[in-house]
Amino acid sequence: MQAEFPLPDVHWEPARELWKGAARGELHMPRCDSCGRYVWYPLPPCRHCGAAQWTWTTASGRGRLFSWSIVRHAWIPQFADRLPFVTGLVALEEDPAVRLVTYVVDCAPPDLHCDMPVRAVFRPLRYPGVRGEVTAPMFAPQRG
Amino acid sequence: MTDDWGFASELDDVGGEIAIVGIGDADYSKASGRTTHQIAAQATERALADAGLTAAEVDGIMYVPFSGDQFDDAAFHAHFGTSHDLWVSDKGGGMVWAGSAPYEAALAIRSGKATCVVNTFSVAWATQRSQMVGGPGQVHAEDLCKQNLEVPFGWFPQPVYFATIARRHMYEFGTTSEQLGAIAVACRRHANLTPGAVMRDRPLSLDDYLRSPLIADPFRKEDCCLISDGGAAYVMTSLERARDLKAPIVEVLGVGVGNSRTGAYWSQQGAFTSTPQVFAATGAFAMAGIERDDVDVLACYDPFTIVSLMQIEDMGFCPKGEGGPFVEGEALHFDAGVLPYNTHGGMLSHAYVLGIAHVVEIVRQLRRQAAAQVPDAAVGIYGGYTGPQASTLILGRR
Repeated sequence: MQAEFPLPDVHWEPARELWKGAARGELHMPRCDSCGRYVWYPLPPCRHCGAAQWTWTTASGRGRLFSWSIVRHAWIPQFADRLPFVTGLVALEEDPAVRLVTYVVDCAPPDLHCDMPVRAVFRPLRYPGVRGEVTAPMFAPQRG
Repeated sequence: MTDDWGFASELDDVGGEIAIVGIGDADYSKASGRTTHQIAAQATERALADAGLTAAEVDGIMYVPFSGDQFDDAAFHAHFGTSHDLWVSDKGGGMVWAGSAPYEAALAIRSGKATCVVNTFSVAWATQRSQMVGGPGQVHAEDLCKQNLEVPFGWFPQPVYFATIARRHMYEFGTTSEQLGAIAVACRRHANLTPGAVMRDRPLSLDDYLRSPLIADPFRKEDCCLISDGGAAYVMTSLERARDLKAPIVEVLGVGVGNSRTGAYWSQQGAFTSTPQVFAATGAFAMAGIERDDVDVLACYDPFTIVSLMQIEDMGFCPKGEGGPFVEGEALHFDAGVLPYNTHGGMLSHAYVLGIAHVVEIVRQLRRQAAAQVPDAAVGIYGGYTGPQASTLILGRR
């Protein structure tokens, strides 16, 4: 396990652009140069066309909450301080086949529902006993 | 949802070629200090005794290499003091392979590479748990995509994955907590009847289930499998040779294997509320030449209640999405006459030995020697699962 586990390794090449974008408040996602579909997870080959080249582009940050769990048990000690938390999957507006794993924030659990519109917000990830923090895309309900 | 999210493996027809002639359980327990080799050796000894065979008559051994501590040919020889040639396959073990190992064994027996093959699986995760990251989740935490793109957001380990799948199943199909609870209650009742089951003395009612706290909403503790030490083994040989052995003949009628194109990345699986049983079961039923109505007893790899429910749907015992109403009440109980399911208690209540004990239980049912015996059981199925793959093993009493 990497030294800052469970923080992401922002230098891990396949996802480096995601964290660079998040630090600027943008959701950067890889699009296949050959077929134009999003490539997620960002490992070759593109599962739609088999190509191996893609370009990171800025996505709208809008999507829908595909599903989630309210976690009330700490399976690893680093999560204990956050309990309970809402973790789940967001289907991207640009391509709902792409689901980002994320924390759902700014929403009381009774107000959560599948397919509710959400938008990316950029918040620091921190874990007790782990050095540093990483700005990461989390998702909150779309207003209005 | 189209079905391009996965595919069936192409398999030769091996129906009716081999039989399972010996079964052996190791002791099932919470943390015991035992090693996987000790556990598998005990299971293998018992399986050979059950078959009436000696270690010297075994000429094939199957195991899974994934944890690096399984009962391979070197461990077999070290334990039994033998040194003869063995056909060795790493396509055995538990999980999906507990169901597909008979296919590989049948090919080996057909081609003369082996005549008598033992498949084992053992686990000591109850003993090892404190050294693991997230217990059995460690293998997922080590995957760099998960380590960097899932774990940082609290989506880890398996109970959280499958709680998320259960939530979506509830949304799409109206599945309820009471329906998931019915699965847990059926498994516990069966474990209460089964000697050696880890939860044998711990009854569970649906009210108990519903009062239990949510740990990964919508899951309660009782939706999740145990963490156990234990294992089992089974012995396979040709149908011809099986006639000379003492046990009632349980033959391999059909095998199927299905695959998900997104592997173990559940987050990205196209059909989020399905398992690759969609692709595995069809081929196995065709090979066996039977219909769903012919099945007397079913055992599925059941890490979570929702995985049981999805496999029951995906094997075609009810239409997709109707698994909730199908499993309600006592439909899965061994004596209800609907679909007797995990009649030893499964991984939820018998032991978490990753499916190998399920196959042993199906054989026991077809021999009419089970604790929670289904009357006149003649056809039984094991549904294996790993996420990336599923297997369907159809066994029949001859």
